[in-house]
Amino acid sequence: MAFFEQHAHPVPKTFLGKYIFSFDHKVIAKQFLWSGLFFLGVGGIMALLIRWTLAYPGQSFPILGSILFPHTNGIVPPDTYAMLFTQHGTIMIFYAITPLLIGAFGNLCIPLMIGCRDMAFPLLNMLSYWFFFISGALLLSALFTPLGAAAGGWTSYPTLALTFGSPGVGQTLWYMAIFTIGISSILGAVNYITTIITLRAPGMGYFDMPLTIWGIWMTAILNAIFVPVLGAGCLLVIFDRVFGTSFFLAGAAATSGSGDPILYQHVFWIFGHPEVYILILPAWGIVSDLLSFFSRKPAFAAKATALSMVSISVLSILVYGHHMFTTQMSPLLTQSFMTLTMTISIPSAIFFGNWLGTIWKGSIRFDTPMLYSLGVVFVFGLGGLTGLYLGTTTTDFYLHDTYFVVGHFHYTMAASVLLGGFAGIYYWMPKMFGTMMSEFWGKIHFWLTMLGINGVFMGMLFIGYGGMHRRIYNPFYYEELRRLIPMNEFVTISALLLGGSQFIFLFNFLWSVWNGKKAVANPWKVGTLEWTIPSPAPSYNFKDIPVVKCGPHELGNPNLKDGKDFQYQTEELVTS
Amino acid sequence: MSGIFGIFKFIVSSMGVIATSLMLSVANAKDGTDYKSTNYWDITVPPEDISVNGHLIDWLFNYTTYMNLFFFILVCAGLFGFAFIYHHKKNKKPLYTYGNKPVHIWTVTIIGVAVFIGIDATISAISNNDLRNVFLNWPKEEEKPLKVQVMAQQWVWKFRYAGKDEVFNTQDDVVTVNDLRVPINRKLLFQVTSKDVIHSFFLPNARRKVDAMPGRISRIWMELNKAGKWPIACAEMCGTHHYMMGAKLTTYTPEDFESWLGQAQRVAMEVNDPEDLNLYWGWKWEVR
Repeated sequence: MAFFEQHAHPVPKTFLGKYIFSFDHKVIAKQFLWSGLFFLGVGGIMALLIRWTLAYPGQSFPILGSILFPHTNGIVPPDTYAMLFTQHGTIMIFYAITPLLIGAFGNLCIPLMIGCRDMAFPLLNMLSYWFFFISGALLLSALFTPLGAAAGGWTSYPTLALTFGSPGVGQTLWYMAIFTIGISSILGAVNYITTIITLRAPGMGYFDMPLTIWGIWMTAILNAIFVPVLGAGCLLVIFDRVFGTSFFLAGAAATSGSGDPILYQHVFWIFGHPEVYILILPAWGIVSDLLSFFSRKPAFAAKATALSMVSISVLSILVYGHHMFTTQMSPLLTQSFMTLTMTISIPSAIFFGNWLGTIWKGSIRFDTPMLYSLGVVFVFGLGGLTGLYLGTTTTDFYLHDTYFVVGHFHYTMAASVLLGGFAGIYYWMPKMFGTMMSEFWGKIHFWLTMLGINGVFMGMLFIGYGGMHRRIYNPFYYEELRRLIPMNEFVTISALLLGGSQFIFLFNFLWSVWNGKKAVANPWKVGTLEWTIPSPAPSYNFKDIPVVKCGPHELGNPNLKDGKDFQYQTEELVTS
Repeated sequence: MSGIFGIFKFIVSSMGVIATSLMLSVANAKDGTDYKSTNYWDITVPPEDISVNGHLIDWLFNYTTYMNLFFFILVCAGLFGFAFIYHHKKNKKPLYTYGNKPVHIWTVTIIGVAVFIGIDATISAISNNDLRNVFLNWPKEEEKPLKVQVMAQQWVWKFRYAGKDEVFNTQDDVVTVNDLRVPINRKLLFQVTSKDVIHSFFLPNARRKVDAMPGRISRIWMELNKAGKWPIACAEMCGTHHYMMGAKLTTYTPEDFESWLGQAQRVAMEVNDPEDLNLYWGWKWEVR
């Protein structure tokens, strides 16, 4: 229980110190939140452009099309299409979900939920945001280079991503942007890990931490270990592109020595698979907590949930080969990766058991954050189960690189993570901005989002099973895929619904930030440490460092008196 | 395939009705609706299986689907059932438990083990068997498989058959572009590579694909059993015109194939220019 003296740092007076170069974890969290929402919008519009092209190839995109593509009467051209899906993937993964779930909630929740005044390294924290900012600028600047932005898919496999496949400087900028955001992630991760280990409030053991913190902790550990691998891979490709080395160059263009493009896939996926869990673990943590809070009973087998997170983090390292079954690895590797992939089911099943156990015999309140948490259970169920087809080598022979894969990973990484993120935003809004979001519009947003999300990604699963492969500009070039036109149109309409319903969220959010109903200190009647302080949280967080005396999920204790059904973590557990 | 997706089909067809009605409201100037199928049931069916072993993959897919549906319906029953039964208006007093009693631990353990044994262990065992006994059980020389070399390049598939001399990369080889012709009921053995970027040799009707990678030769074998014309696609992003990198697969009866190959070999002898170095993009066939 390492604990040392924490000073409240002075409140900055200038605008620059207060809002731009702030050391305050809450301000940095908001910076990440705003940037994440901005990029979510950009990536979302790109997704709609992609979807429109797939359902109505050769037709101009309504309204925006003629502004964006005046030379083709608003039709997305094929090279732009490739850029769009590349940028959509990159932006959503690294610039929308990462800052929202890890940047914003990591920064906001860690100090508030473990009871300290700020992160262990406030300077690193600020740098983490500004590296993210530089990286975002690099990525977006590529859109304005002569040959356009990177267009090799978000995985940017060599040799397509080498100079002969993608001659534009945009691809180099992509690798630089990813390298830079890697720095941002590593700085954040080091900070999170250190803070969680050293700055927990006195009395708080690891299992007294809310599960949100467990999720973010595991995420940070995976980030710290595997983002450097991606950074190294990006650096090597930059060498190939700029200095003429040939780490990944092979084939006819390898006139002076040959490398191996498959090496990059190994490097990429040994990062890439943990990345999936990097994105989903914070959402799992948030959901595990919120299900307990809104069912008004302790989290079911919270220790098992936490340990499942740990075991999933460990397993995530050992399964990356399932992304590469079609590269014809040694059969020994194929079989081992398949078997290891399948073992992930066990901790995942424990998650579902514990989530359902948490709401079992609860007294469930359907506030907006709870609806989103239940939504995560639903969509992650679909996402996890569809993963089984892809982890199995023989079915993967058929489904690999089809829309089935797209549907599957959108269910896990987009749907679950976004719903988890929305749950977090609705839930911590009072602590962040001191206001409540509209419950009514929140619920409408939830139902429309659920409808849209399931329409889009369920549709993609069917399209993929029907045989449509990924990343094609005009699927109906293949006569055999024309029977999938109605389904593609259905998916696109669902996507438009999904995109449109986010405006409800946007207005609700913006309205609440400035005009929302003032929140009380503890609107959800929950006992974790962040609710012991006023809303919004003051800059020093805790007047006195709290002393923790019980677990985070003390709700529904029949021994509690005076109509209370929860107790704060700073109170001794009521046993009689 | 009928009856496999009964429940899904119902959902999808009802979604389809919604979609169709929505579509009417979207400004949509598309004409040529003749190829449009409004039968949403078709979508739940993969392309027609024309291979001897594709049914193994379909079977495994369907098994996984049944098991997934079972467990997902359990999850939904818990999710919606508990949400309904334990609504705070109906159930004012929550049960105060940490879920750490033996009965709780046993329940969750049983769920975990049931999922693992019911789905994961079973499908990975079956898949492993299929791999060992079928998909990685390479045809032997005495089975006389048809050997074809496949070269992918942006954005074309090139195929090479050994000529009369049965040696690859010689001047009598039959070379075709975007046009693969093979016999049915005979094992086919492909060696696949790429000239420039990574492609993926995808035959949806045989349920198989293998990546074509520069600097490496990958291989794939299959046996087809239905004559006709089928698509070949590139499944790995390979640049702007990735979507146009399709080839035609024609499957002949063995007799038809022999007559085609004989004619193609004669044409090749006449047309191939031995001085043209571009002709020799093939490689020596080595049994690995």
